[in-house]
Amino acid sequence: MRSLIYIGRRLLLLVPQLLLISIATFVLIRALPGDPARLELGPLAPQEGVDQLRRQLRLDQPLPQQYLAYVERLAQGNLGRSWVGSTEVSADLAVRLPATLELIIGGMLLVAVVLVPLAMVSAMPGGGIAGQLARKVSFGYGLLAGALPDFWLGLVLIFVFFSLLGWAPGPEGRLGILDVSPDHVTGMYTVDALIAGDLATFWSALAHLALPCITLAFVYGAPVFKMVRSSLESALKADYTLYARAVGLRPTTVLRYAMRNAAPPSIVMAGVVSGYLLGGAVLIETVFNLNGLGQYAVQAVTTADYAPIQAFVLISAVFTMLVYLLVDLAYFALDPRVSRGATR
Amino acid sequence: MAFVASKGPSRRLHGVRRVWAGLSAGDRIVVLLFALIVSVAIAGPWLAPHPTMTADPAQRLLPPSLEHWLGTDDNGIDVFSRLLAAPRTDVTIALVATLLSVLVGAPLGVLAGLFESHPRRVLSLTGEGMLRLLDVLQAFPVFILAMVLVAIRGPGTENVILAVAFVNFPVFLRLVRSELLSLRQRPFAEAARAIGRSDLAAAFVHLLPNALPTVVVQLSVTVGFAVLLTAGLSFVGAGIRPPTPELGAMIAGGAKFMALGQWWVSLFPGLALGAIVFVCGLFGEVIGRALEPGASSAPRRRRAPPLAAAAAATNAPAADPQALLAVDRLSLIGDDPEAPLLETMSLSLRPGERLGIVGVAGAGKSLLLRTVLALPPPGTTVRGRVRFEGRDLETLPAAELRRLRGATLAAILPNAKAQLNPLVRIGDFMAAQIRAHVRCSEAEARRRAAKMLVAVGLTDPERRLDAYPHELSGGMAQRVCIAIALLHRPRLLVADEPTAGLDVTVQRQVLDLMLKLSKEQNVAQIVATRDLGIVAHYCDTVAVLEGGRLVEMGPVAAVLTAPSSAVTHRLIAASRGETA
Repeated sequence: MRSLIYIGRRLLLLVPQLLLISIATFVLIRALPGDPARLELGPLAPQEGVDQLRRQLRLDQPLPQQYLAYVERLAQGNLGRSWVGSTEVSADLAVRLPATLELIIGGMLLVAVVLVPLAMVSAMPGGGIAGQLARKVSFGYGLLAGALPDFWLGLVLIFVFFSLLGWAPGPEGRLGILDVSPDHVTGMYTVDALIAGDLATFWSALAHLALPCITLAFVYGAPVFKMVRSSLESALKADYTLYARAVGLRPTTVLRYAMRNAAPPSIVMAGVVSGYLLGGAVLIETVFNLNGLGQYAVQAVTTADYAPIQAFVLISAVFTMLVYLLVDLAYFALDPRVSRGATR
Repeated sequence: MAFVASKGPSRRLHGVRRVWAGLSAGDRIVVLLFALIVSVAIAGPWLAPHPTMTADPAQRLLPPSLEHWLGTDDNGIDVFSRLLAAPRTDVTIALVATLLSVLVGAPLGVLAGLFESHPRRVLSLTGEGMLRLLDVLQAFPVFILAMVLVAIRGPGTENVILAVAFVNFPVFLRLVRSELLSLRQRPFAEAARAIGRSDLAAAFVHLLPNALPTVVVQLSVTVGFAVLLTAGLSFVGAGIRPPTPELGAMIAGGAKFMALGQWWVSLFPGLALGAIVFVCGLFGEVIGRALEPGASSAPRRRRAPPLAAAAAATNAPAADPQALLAVDRLSLIGDDPEAPLLETMSLSLRPGERLGIVGVAGAGKSLLLRTVLALPPPGTTVRGRVRFEGRDLETLPAAELRRLRGATLAAILPNAKAQLNPLVRIGDFMAAQIRAHVRCSEAEARRRAAKMLVAVGLTDPERRLDAYPHELSGGMAQRVCIAIALLHRPRLLVADEPTAGLDVTVQRQVLDLMLKLSKEQNVAQIVATRDLGIVAHYCDTVAVLEGGRLVEMGPVAAVLTAPSSAVTHRLIAASRGETA
């Protein structure tokens, strides 16, 4: 019952948050000098079209009315048109969002599979040569990761693994030039290729994802890495771990219990980082030419294409809010002190 | 040896020189590197050996050579020269933007902190509202927000500065606010309010200067971050544009050549960028350490020099063949080998015997118990021997030691609520403990756990098994720990302050329980406590510890009625409520 109330309240909080986000994006665009309709349709659009959009946006009416019109349009899934590409923004997003999701999911998987175990091993005392090596690697990584710019790291990886060694494909996009994209199911090429049973395309898509995902994981995994390491370290030093050893629990159980304590702060950090990932994707997609949401936004910014910018800002804020929601729910599930307040 | 001599008392130094003298070698390198970055940012453009903004198609994309140390870019401009000129752009933007975000964020943070805890509802709601608004603002990813701000206002130095400042001011707002909230609890803030200063005045005069160290550390981190952000914006073409020398734009200019093999155009600016951010972060840590009061000159705790004769006199009991536990010339060495944490202690315990260990805080009681459990603190070395049931714990394989602990060698550690993992249910913990020592099913383990909880006087055992530690009272948690200690019929129970923090009635119940079990099951006990009353009532033997040494040991009645050491006298006097 307590949990239902908590989850309900947390979901309810989403309403004012989304409301504020929509107001913020609305204000952001109205802050532009000039006529929003003209900005959205571009300098080349005919005046009749601009006038029609002006009426649709109720630009002749007071601001609250304009805001309502904006929300109405959003509710219909209408995000406006890109005047540069003369396409529906929502249609563009449907194509590009999966590419970004593929990058983000791949990067976070790498963090989970490579960095988190490394962090855990380096947090444990002892462990012989392997443990010492893990601690050295993790020390070096901790020093470097915060300072290296992601976009530059991507370029260095391209230089080393493409031009020098020839192990990875160059920055040619999500697939090789001769590859045919698989039938659209999820829009993520790796998944779609598997669904279609096309292994060659799958490997190609995976190879094209490798360097971008490594870059993303290396740079954005650092805070997660440091949090896992330090929270597991302090859990292993805590009174309850000493006690667990003093009463003779198995070493694996001791570790498992300590990991439970390290999990909540690590998950919060992973959530905060995920919130930044769309921002990180902007740079990495540009470097690797992945044609995702981020690169779309960069193109829109450099060509002053406002409808896509507006849509991207909105989506990234909503994405962040949803990630934070998931984090809160995960924390709730993991820490009984939140879900089962002190009752006696 | 000259190195040691130079560390002797030095003359008083002032200001910068004194700070410098307090820094370690590594810290000094960081400071020098930071100074180098600042000087390049100031003087770099004048030091450049080649023109930094004039294209020369004849010199296009030359690899590094003696003429062009770091090669040339696709415009034929010397990369090294541009690299000297570029940091001025990035560092200036980052510095100005960071200062701007502090100037806006810090005062707003003070306001938010003051409003939030203000008794007037209007103001507290305003403070709350400010924070919620900030939440929404921070929902927009930093880079995207900055990019869009530049897109709206157009590229150019001022707009990049504004955008970078805008995305960073929430950091300082939150930082100052939380510093303020924690500082408000401190006495001097109360005092300022008591002598009638207004809240706002008190905040600005007293609290903000105190929050300054944290803000300064954050400043240098933010400068580094702002450099990265500026370069990132310029990289995607939403910041500083060529031909102005700027690191991000330089990297962008060389990006396509990376895939073609002309690595030098992008590589060096990226390294420079990484170095700047890296040094800024380290510099922040150095300042943080320097600003922390007393950080560099913390006196090392030293113990009184050992009294060898006295130690030898009391520490050499004859070897007892019936001993369950025999501690033989046990020493525990910490950081300083000259001042061991425990010094050549010997004692022994027969089955069913109850030994009280007394001493003031810091006398080494807990350390002794931890060493007996073969769980000395990390970083310490054990000398001498602990034999339990005739086996040397030091040389026992880890797996066997583990099977001993919690079974025949049971432990109760101080403050039961802190000993139980807050995220593990009592029942899960107890079942895991049982199954770590006995082969049985989960259900069987739970049944045994429930039975033991009833045995130590807890009602409704099923509910307790289902509970998390925070759902128990201190007394209940203590009983759970006793139950855990008794699960496997121990022969020795090591209890560190088993009743600290419990109220008097519960204390009594717990001790009676321990005594009863000791008598019924012939369990030997070592009880460390500051309370002589406990020892007098529940123990057969008492050992008095001081400064890591065993100063007196003997039957309780003898020691307490005719103490031979000054420490024991003082402890007895203190327990009677007299002053020593």
